[in-house]
Amino acid sequence: MRLRGLLSLPGVPPLLSLGGLLALWQIAAGAIGIEGLPSASSVIASLPGVLFDLESLAEIGASLQRMALGFAIAVATAIPLGLVMGRSRAVAGFFGPLLTLIYPVPKAALMPIIMLWFGVGDFSKVLVIFLGVSLPLIYHSYAGARAVDEKLVWSAMAMGMPARRRVFSIILPSALPEVMLGCRVGIAMALIVMVSSEMIARQSGVGNLLFNSLDMAQYHTVYATILVIGAIGFALDALFERVRRRLTFWGETGEETVAGGG
Amino acid sequence: MARALKLALLHLYPVALLLAAWEASVAAGLVRKILLPAPSAVFARLFELLQTAAFLEHVAQTLVRLSAGLAIATALGLALGLAAAASHPAGRMIQPLVRVLAPIPKIALYPALILILGFDHASKIALVAADAVFPILFATYHGARMVEPKLLWSARAAGTSPRACVFKIVLPAALPSILTGFRIALVISCVVVFLAEMISSTDGLGHLLIRAARAFRTVDMFVPLVTISLLGLALNALVAAGRRRLLAGYGEAR
Repeated sequence: MRLRGLLSLPGVPPLLSLGGLLALWQIAAGAIGIEGLPSASSVIASLPGVLFDLESLAEIGASLQRMALGFAIAVATAIPLGLVMGRSRAVAGFFGPLLTLIYPVPKAALMPIIMLWFGVGDFSKVLVIFLGVSLPLIYHSYAGARAVDEKLVWSAMAMGMPARRRVFSIILPSALPEVMLGCRVGIAMALIVMVSSEMIARQSGVGNLLFNSLDMAQYHTVYATILVIGAIGFALDALFERVRRRLTFWGETGEETVAGGG
Repeated sequence: MARALKLALLHLYPVALLLAAWEASVAAGLVRKILLPAPSAVFARLFELLQTAAFLEHVAQTLVRLSAGLAIATALGLALGLAAAASHPAGRMIQPLVRVLAPIPKIALYPALILILGFDHASKIALVAADAVFPILFATYHGARMVEPKLLWSARAAGTSPRACVFKIVLPAALPSILTGFRIALVISCVVVFLAEMISSTDGLGHLLIRAARAFRTVDMFVPLVTISLLGLALNALVAAGRRRLLAGYGEAR
């Protein structure tokens, strides 16, 4: 019974499955025995080398900074647009078809074109992240604003609540759970677009780090960097999920898919 | 018919407006043609290329990787999603595993996949599968969990075996949700296969973009991008139409 109690602690099952995955990796590496798949233990042993290397640490930091900036700009612009689309048919009718058209475009693949236009600097790198994050944010904000209970709005209008207050007291709180869900997808998307655009541009950042070590046959560094990126993805998601649950305890949106292609 | 046409026109006017503005600004010399080619030039080049065997060969390579990865993801996602929903112990195994793996950016695994599976098809197919499996898994799991318990009880009472219940009741009942997940996975697959081909490949649409970028041929950079996007749109519409057809008897197609 004590075992079962331990198993139902919140952090334990994911930790166990992580351990299981690492064990599986260790066994597979031993069984396959190729240079391209070093054992899990040796990769973990080389983790400090990546984490305490000032140069790669600076790269990772710069990447995350650009990611945060792109995400922040998308939050500031895409959420209002999505909310307005959800409340106005004309706006939705105009932007809807355009967004449908943009939806299947691989955003990170725009990197070569964006670099052609704006150079190889930070602006291009932030822009491509912004583009990738915007779409899920717009979509979820739109869905959130559409799902506002119209009776609430009508009652407020009947009681003479001014439009500005209706937005802040009714529409925003009602849409918030769905908007937060969009932010969660957006964070995952930001990381995906960041890594893939850096892999394509091969200029700087984590993605570049990965392929540089691949080209130099530093296989341990490749795997250690993947572990670091995976940990960042997991940590960002878990952290945001905490914030989301606290902020939107009234929304009933439960587990949702976090998926994106970049 | 006239109504459908009117509706389509109403939906397409922003797109037409955008294309017209883009075309006009190139024609007026507001943007340099070398940086942003006119849409007419891009589509003309696309039609020209569609008649060449070499271009179609690249499209075919992309489609092979796309469909193989998506097929693996569908089989895996369906199996794991159904198992997690149907059996408690399986669910307790799969759920934490998914919680660890889902938020990881799968594209970061690509260098490892190259090291293990080589530069050829296999690593790209594996990457597509890794990215596409989660939407299908989530959709299957949620769809299967939403099945009306009374249906299952009646079937069990009428003597259907638990295994038959999965195929006769759970799977059909979860179909609307599964197909929605499949559509998401499809578009993700299109994007991922293209990115993988851009990052390391010697053929496929993504490689065409990189090749054109190295040679500074902007029109040829837009053509593969437009092709993969149109492919994504077309496949997406195809699945949507198939979904409507399949779900015709469901009363309300969600």
